[in-house]
Amino acid sequence: MEKPSTLLVHFDKGSAAMASEIKADLEGSDVAAKVDAMKRAVMLLLNGETLPQLFITVVRYVLPSEDHTVQKLLLLYLEIIDKRDAAGRVLPEMILICQNLRNNLQHPNEYIRGVTLRFLCRLSEPEVLEPLVPSILENLEHRHHFIRRHALSAISAIYRLPHGDQLIPDAPELVERALASEQDASARRNAFLMLCACAQERAVAYLLSNVDRVAEWPDLLQMAAVDLIRKVCRSPNRADKGRYIKIIISLLSSPSTAVVYECAGALVSLSSAPTAVRAAANTYCELLSSQSDNNVKLIILDRLNELRTSHRDVMVDVVMDVLRALTSPNLDVKRKVLDLVLDLLTPRNVEEVVLNLKKEVVKTQAGELEKGGEYRQMLVQAIHACAVEYSEVAGSVVHLLMDFLGDTNVAAAVDVVLFVREIIETNPKLRVSMIQRLIDTFYQIRASRVCSCALWILGEYSLSLSEVESALSTIKQCLGDLPFYTVSEEGEATDSAKPAQPVVNSVTVSSRRPVVLADGTYATQSAATEAISTASVAPGLLSSTLNLRSLILSGDFFLAAVIACTLTKLVLRLEEVQPSKVETNKVCTGALLIMTSILQLGQSSYLPQPIDNDSYDRIVLCVRLLCNTGDDVRKIWLQSCRQSFAKMLAEKQFRETEEMKAKAQVSHAQPDDLIDFYHLKSRRGMSQLELEDEVQDDLKAATGGFTKDADDANRLNRILQLTGFSDPVYAEAYVTVHHYDIVLDVTVINRTKETLQNMCLELATMGDLKLVDRPQNYTLAPASSKQIRANIKVSSTETGVIFGNIVYETSNVMERSVIVLNDIHIDIMDYISPATCADVTFRNMWAEFEWENKVAVNTVIQTEKEFLDHIIKSTNMKCLTPPSALDGECGFLAANLYAKSVFGEDALVNISIEKQFDGKLSGYIRIRSKTQGIALSLGDKITLKQKGGS
Amino acid sequence: MVVLAASIISKSGKALVSRQFVDMSRIRIEGLLAAFPKLVGTGKQHTYVKTENVRYVYQPIEGLYLLLITNKQSNILEDLDTLRLLSKLVPEYSPSLDEEGVCKTAFKLIFAFDEAISLGNKENVTVQQVKQYCEMESHEEKAHKLMMQSKINETKDVMKKKASELDKMRMERGKLDKGGYSSISGPRVIEKAFNDMSITGTGFGSGSGLGGLSTDMDSFSSKPKGASNFSEGRPSAPATAPGKGLGMKLGKTQKTNQFLESLKAEGEVILEDVQPSSVQSRVSPLPPSDPITVTIEEKLNVLVKRDGGVNNFDVQGTLALQILNDADGFIQLQIEDQDVPGLSFKTHPNINKDLFNSQQVVGAKDPNRPFPSGQNETPLVKWRIQGMDESSLPLSVNCWPSVSGSETYVNIEYEAAEMFDLHNVVISIPLPALRDAPSVRQIDGEWKYDSRNSVLEWSIILIDQSNRSGSMEFVVPPADPSTFFPISIGFSASSTFSDLKVTGIRPLKDGNPPKYSQRARLVTANYQVV
Repeated sequence: MEKPSTLLVHFDKGSAAMASEIKADLEGSDVAAKVDAMKRAVMLLLNGETLPQLFITVVRYVLPSEDHTVQKLLLLYLEIIDKRDAAGRVLPEMILICQNLRNNLQHPNEYIRGVTLRFLCRLSEPEVLEPLVPSILENLEHRHHFIRRHALSAISAIYRLPHGDQLIPDAPELVERALASEQDASARRNAFLMLCACAQERAVAYLLSNVDRVAEWPDLLQMAAVDLIRKVCRSPNRADKGRYIKIIISLLSSPSTAVVYECAGALVSLSSAPTAVRAAANTYCELLSSQSDNNVKLIILDRLNELRTSHRDVMVDVVMDVLRALTSPNLDVKRKVLDLVLDLLTPRNVEEVVLNLKKEVVKTQAGELEKGGEYRQMLVQAIHACAVEYSEVAGSVVHLLMDFLGDTNVAAAVDVVLFVREIIETNPKLRVSMIQRLIDTFYQIRASRVCSCALWILGEYSLSLSEVESALSTIKQCLGDLPFYTVSEEGEATDSAKPAQPVVNSVTVSSRRPVVLADGTYATQSAATEAISTASVAPGLLSSTLNLRSLILSGDFFLAAVIACTLTKLVLRLEEVQPSKVETNKVCTGALLIMTSILQLGQSSYLPQPIDNDSYDRIVLCVRLLCNTGDDVRKIWLQSCRQSFAKMLAEKQFRETEEMKAKAQVSHAQPDDLIDFYHLKSRRGMSQLELEDEVQDDLKAATGGFTKDADDANRLNRILQLTGFSDPVYAEAYVTVHHYDIVLDVTVINRTKETLQNMCLELATMGDLKLVDRPQNYTLAPASSKQIRANIKVSSTETGVIFGNIVYETSNVMERSVIVLNDIHIDIMDYISPATCADVTFRNMWAEFEWENKVAVNTVIQTEKEFLDHIIKSTNMKCLTPPSALDGECGFLAANLYAKSVFGEDALVNISIEKQFDGKLSGYIRIRSKTQGIALSLGDKITLKQKGGS
Repeated sequence: MVVLAASIISKSGKALVSRQFVDMSRIRIEGLLAAFPKLVGTGKQHTYVKTENVRYVYQPIEGLYLLLITNKQSNILEDLDTLRLLSKLVPEYSPSLDEEGVCKTAFKLIFAFDEAISLGNKENVTVQQVKQYCEMESHEEKAHKLMMQSKINETKDVMKKKASELDKMRMERGKLDKGGYSSISGPRVIEKAFNDMSITGTGFGSGSGLGGLSTDMDSFSSKPKGASNFSEGRPSAPATAPGKGLGMKLGKTQKTNQFLESLKAEGEVILEDVQPSSVQSRVSPLPPSDPITVTIEEKLNVLVKRDGGVNNFDVQGTLALQILNDADGFIQLQIEDQDVPGLSFKTHPNINKDLFNSQQVVGAKDPNRPFPSGQNETPLVKWRIQGMDESSLPLSVNCWPSVSGSETYVNIEYEAAEMFDLHNVVISIPLPALRDAPSVRQIDGEWKYDSRNSVLEWSIILIDQSNRSGSMEFVVPPADPSTFFPISIGFSASSTFSDLKVTGIRPLKDGNPPKYSQRARLVTANYQVV
């Protein structure tokens, strides 16, 4: 076990030469200089210097000092010096400090006594402690609580040392007696904790004899009591569990929220009875609403989420209480609440939940909420999820939500329109009313993306004559009078538009600022395919009711193509439902006129940007179709579209159920799983039985107490040979990569017949690596071997290299000999692990991250899919693109990969490849990350591995 | 439940100060701290980060992060409380909240962190308390130092007294030799005696083991440094005293007596376990609001033998005057006293002796000189009562240790005289060094065992008509009966032996007689059963 570190102080300008200055200052009589010198000494020690000669100076000149600060610094100094020699024996000179410590323990100043006692808690040398025990015990009865407090913790710490029970054999009795007469809360807590740790039965006896008073105990003590109960009840089938539960329940009404929170946690671990769990859940809910701190809310929600996985049936009852937390203004909290609630839906409570969500939606309309739009979007998504699962509730909310189609928050509006689209397909009963509503609200829609989706819905689901007719008229109305521009305007407009042209010219630099044209409309250049296009245009256009017209005039020809398609669809439908041929033809010509006008607009110089080919083709196709309809085409336009949409929905559903199934399966134990015996503790499988031990393990994990299970076979695979077999010194290392550090275990063997003196392993690093402490010098006898361990700190995910050499002296050669070692490469793959994130977050990060590394594909692999798999395998990333989207052969492929490093950094990869005519794959792999290191290292890795074939 | 570490790091991840409260390796804590800045998201409205193994709870302070590393099961409510406390402490100890400032005050911060979190557990403390803990201002230490000082002074006094006695003896011998010729003035004689003293030095001090001081003397004389102080301090002694001659000396002893008394008062506080603040108020009563205050105080020096009989029974009284305003200084006091046998008065040299002896009026010799004013009390008259017998003792204590088997039973009883109502009586019985408190079988009043000094303190808050006598019995492991002696007794009473009173104050100049208040009390200076 490594030496524990107790304090860190930043210090960068230290050198061993300072040691003599320090010594001089310590020997002087100036207190301020002494304090300063002590500080410097402590910092030097922390910096890895050993300063062995300083100890005697300290003993001679610092120990007798009466200054309090000097004494306190002295204790820090004693805390960090090495008190044992290499063999683990206590250094003989340590005895020198005993007298001073004892004087301090009898010092008239109570604080000196206190801090000395506190220092003793960190001391683990029984040889030093032994002579101090009587003085420590005397302090138990000092009238100052500060001293008693620390005396109790010192006794506790000493008793817990190996063989500590021999130092103070009667410690439990003493502490118990002290506890009985103690008044100070903190001292009582320390005493009680000591009993809990060292003499549990006494602690239990004390607790049980004070059952009635527990509720009046100070909160510190109550916390300790809860902890004890949790510990005691860990042994299964305890008959007297009931008594403890009673105590816990009495503590649930404690005024301290921390205690209440702890109790709720203990209650769940004590019992899985529904009553207990319910009580815990209720407590959490109360805390959730009473605590205003976001941190607390989030963590309590985590706790509730844990409860949900283990006791869903109970949690279902508290859904409404959880929902109340939506009043918090914090979006993170709201999101977590919604997630939790969505997982707790049942047919019984869904109505109520949705009703509540609806109310929240209405509240967001009031508008004073900051980030109301984002919140509304979350709510819409939540309602969407409810409605998908329980379609009967859709009817009650869909109309309300449709009011938000014209929302200025485009993302929310898009969510609403997607929701509408899904509901109208899955819920045919609502179709009529929804179409009606959509036609009524259509003119409010401002965003191009929402418009196109709404148009699609109109085209697909307007079935009856009246619906088709009103849909057509609405679209026409929104387009306004034809033509879109007059010739006279043209000349004018081109002039005025010209100066604006440079701004909006390039497609990649998409300037979002609207350009005001001569006629008062806005011209905005935008790529129609982009997700958030025209988002910011919307507010500027609110004045105009002719939403479609203004969008088209702003150059959105994609939308124009959608309009053309919708019109075509509606006309085709009209032909089926309209008995009068004349009417149909009239409408048909009207539609054709619109389309041609659009084309004309697109080809004129009125707009800075001419129509793109794609949209042009589509509109022309629509025109042709209306002129010359056939049954085949009709079928494609009127049925296939809808079918493929239905198929998409079905697939989505299917994927979700698959995921659920997969999740459900994980928790089952395999027949050949290892059985964990409670008494035989193993780290490998933490089973249900051990869950109760979680708290303790948690602490151990946090302090890094677990040594990794070393898989011997694996270990041998990672051995690196550092020198050649015929070198005078043979060295090999195996590299263990922990989270934040790399441990090199180097075996060094002397292959010569001479003794190697001052043999030293010198290491240097490149990249974001840092050597923690220098390995010391050794003397190596002939043919003997030595294990040297070096720690290297890693601070970010980056490929690093460790160089090194071995330096030694022999008796007959005067110079030092040097052997250069092989480089050790640290692989980035050890640091990243596959992770998932939502599409939207991926896109956001993609847009936000600064570092991009673009790697051209160069591989022998022939098929796109195989190449993707190869990259996934070699980079240890997760493919975010669903498999269904990667199905089939089409000669090209695009996929997103994602991974997270142990330091929490994100790594994004996009692969776009195309199969060339000659069968080779070409394309690019783009890596983006927040820091340069990841992008570079991952790029190098991919360049190295992408070739494949081997 | 546990805070692993409290740290301050810069936004770039440089660990400036970190205090770990559980054992963890250096590489681990450095790794945790280095990883933190990368985990902090911007624009989040919560201030904790969860990782696989630990939870960070943090708070940005200007360009720095103050953070707690806890385990994941840790109680967030407690941790936030702790963090809040620390965030208030940091600016207290580090005035400039940047890297440099924090580095400079790193150790102060570590000390403060230690007070706020004890070994990972939260402490219920406030910022004020932490500050108090870190300042380490200890009343007791001061008291201890003062006590040491007073012991030194006292020994000095004893030395002086001895010196003058010796001198007197020599002078008398000289008188005999030279046939009554003597015109040497007092102070010079004393001066000469001092010179003698400095030659014989410590031999005197340690040789004259005086009563209750004997133990102190030991510790005192064992320290060579103290001894050198002792001889160095001598010449400065006259400088500190305001007057000259005998009055000066008395004034000085009074000062030390007062101090000892206040110490005793504290000892009594220890018994009753009262807040130190209330002690203060009792020891030094509120400054008088009356323009003139007369304090009459008698001190008892009693040495009673355990088998009966009085070794020494001596009452020393002082009448002191405190005048707040200069204008009230021109007054005369009319006093009245009981005629007690053995009572002898001494007046301040500036007091008109004739007036005092004839009319019992205390007035200045020079009518144009007012009595000194200010916050200090000016002693005007001193008196001594000597030669009283055992029957006049206000309180007598009997102690009967008896060994039976493996235990010693100690019976103690007290009997108080009818004359006085005694307040805050403390009877301190020395015990053999014990590990545990003695078992008290029966007691009238309260007891407390002071294990440090191995003293059993029996305290009775008030002895009046209802309890003129009382007893106590306790059991200790077998011990020699002499170990229970000397028993020292402390008390105070509101009436005095001499029953001296100020019956009136007359202004020397025109005007109404000024308002005055008078306080009389009897206290024990040294009251022992040996």
